[in-house]
Amino acid sequence: MSNKKAILVDIKRCIGCQACEQNCQQVHGFPVEHQPHLSETALTFVDQKGEKFVRRMCLHCEEPACASACLVGALKKSALGPVTYDSKKCMGCRYCMIACPQGVPKYQWSKLAPLVKKCDMCYDRQVAGGKPACVEACPVEASVFGDRDALLKEAWDRIRADSTYVPRIYGSEEFGGTSVFYVSDVAFEDLGFVKPVNGSQPLPTLSAAALGETPTVVVVGGSMLAALYWITQRKREVAVAELHELDKKERS
Amino acid sequence: MTTETKPSVITFWRVLTAAIFALGAYAAYLRFLRGWQASTNLSDLQPWGLWVGFGTLCGVGLSAGGFAIAGAVYLLGMERYRPLLRPAILLSFLGYSTVCSGMLYELGLPWRIWHPMIYWNGHSVLFDVSLCVMCYTTVLLMEFAPYAIEKIPYVRLRETFLHWHHKVLIALVLAGVLLSSMHQSFLGGLFLIAKGKVYPVWYSPYLTTLFYLSAIPAGIAMLTIVLYLCVRSLNVKLEFSLLEEMSRVMGMLLGVYGIFRGLDLVKGGGIHYIFARRVETLYFWLEIALLVIIPLFLLSQSRIRNNPQALYWTCAVVVMGFMANRLNVSITAIDAMTGAHYVPKWPEFALTIAVLAAAGVVFRLAVIYLDILPKKELPPKPTTWVHVNTAEA
Repeated sequence: MSNKKAILVDIKRCIGCQACEQNCQQVHGFPVEHQPHLSETALTFVDQKGEKFVRRMCLHCEEPACASACLVGALKKSALGPVTYDSKKCMGCRYCMIACPQGVPKYQWSKLAPLVKKCDMCYDRQVAGGKPACVEACPVEASVFGDRDALLKEAWDRIRADSTYVPRIYGSEEFGGTSVFYVSDVAFEDLGFVKPVNGSQPLPTLSAAALGETPTVVVVGGSMLAALYWITQRKREVAVAELHELDKKERS
Repeated sequence: MTTETKPSVITFWRVLTAAIFALGAYAAYLRFLRGWQASTNLSDLQPWGLWVGFGTLCGVGLSAGGFAIAGAVYLLGMERYRPLLRPAILLSFLGYSTVCSGMLYELGLPWRIWHPMIYWNGHSVLFDVSLCVMCYTTVLLMEFAPYAIEKIPYVRLRETFLHWHHKVLIALVLAGVLLSSMHQSFLGGLFLIAKGKVYPVWYSPYLTTLFYLSAIPAGIAMLTIVLYLCVRSLNVKLEFSLLEEMSRVMGMLLGVYGIFRGLDLVKGGGIHYIFARRVETLYFWLEIALLVIIPLFLLSQSRIRNNPQALYWTCAVVVMGFMANRLNVSITAIDAMTGAHYVPKWPEFALTIAVLAAAGVVFRLAVIYLDILPKKELPPKPTTWVHVNTAEA
């Protein structure tokens, strides 16, 4: 069993108090105010869907599209589970924002030297043995933090114990599995969850398929081009030799 | 005596160029000192926009002529295209230079533009693109170098360089063709991972192939346009039959692209969207009409292929269709899914156009002062005679 960490969000239990987003903003030194969407100063927010509250945040995919896209490897899936961001490597290409199916990475458009802002599951606090700020603030255990495997089991236990839950854990296999899961008593489709277009396959497999052919293309293409050049050269040599012979005959 | 009829220093084109540079300079001020919100309409929902969609995707694609002609002449032995080699290399070199310059304002932290050289992520399509573009721009610089160095008056230096250059030239051309084939395709590959954020009519697992197949004819069209303008406005000559012959190859390549695109739409399911009652459908058909249908019809007419001006406009249609395709994939398709309603702000246009204008000016100067295209021998102007005679008398 790995010691990967995860967060379980229970939509049935959430009372919409917004303590999670407030604590997140406090810990990060952002202005504490509710925003109706993720932003550079709202790395998590409570989204009201009818009578339900859905806490949105980075799902910390097991095989994140953003980290696969990042050309300098500023975004990384850490061994602990969180997808972290190294602001010293980032060059501001914003490909992560294109790649992320959830639109999680946000950009500091108002700054002259903008950085990407996204939830890192309070990686530093985790390393120090603590919990993510959002989980710590939750008064009703709608968000819980723990080992990924244990939390998955806990999620199934909650579903089994209460028949009002939808028998599905969003994040157990979506996008190839994530480190933030949701259980709910309302269908996920009605709560604005993104339908994974690649099924349970991680998104990076889509580009890996194209990149995987590169060595073959380079080797085969390179040899073919070299062969073509050789033929071209040879033709030229033969033509020159024939001319020489013609020349000799005419002289003799 | 003032019989001298020197052309005026102030011409329409010079005024226009100056205005473009002035606007570009102001846009650069907005971008670098006032920030993104003052200079762009980019947002979290549309983080790339015109600078990437046009500046990078179209810039690289329309510069495909260089590797196509170099490959044809050196590797395939199509010697008849040799007169097009120098203008093609120059065009590509300047095209890639605009792309690299564009990076300086489209990156958030442009002073870190060198980061991909030391921080590697082999899983990233963009990493492969950036490495290929860096290498290929270097290759183009080296392919272009002799055109400038042969003008150096120091014989030994010049000859040493040209001697060595001749030895590595084939390796350069071969590397150029491989690098180009890779990153032209990978530019399409950038959008593979964003499945679900690309409107289905433009998403395909074969985006790489589609980008590659469309870049070569578009590069040829761009080269034809530039050559036509050179012959019209500069003191150079070129045999038109070459362009006519090349346009037939272009037509064939566009046909191949059209067939592949059609099959891909059928196989990938995009076909269900081609008559959808959405604004994207209009953009789709605009693109298909400009890139495939109209050019194929026009190029099938020998009357049009053999008329320089008609061929010029046909190529302009191809280039516009190509731009429509790249902008559709990078902007329309993403906009449709994220609802960004992105319309570029004027500085986005101004900076892009200024960089292109700069490339245009350098191209013009290169054709005038270097041996890019053979110069026409002009009959001596009578006014000059009058002037010289009176001066002597």
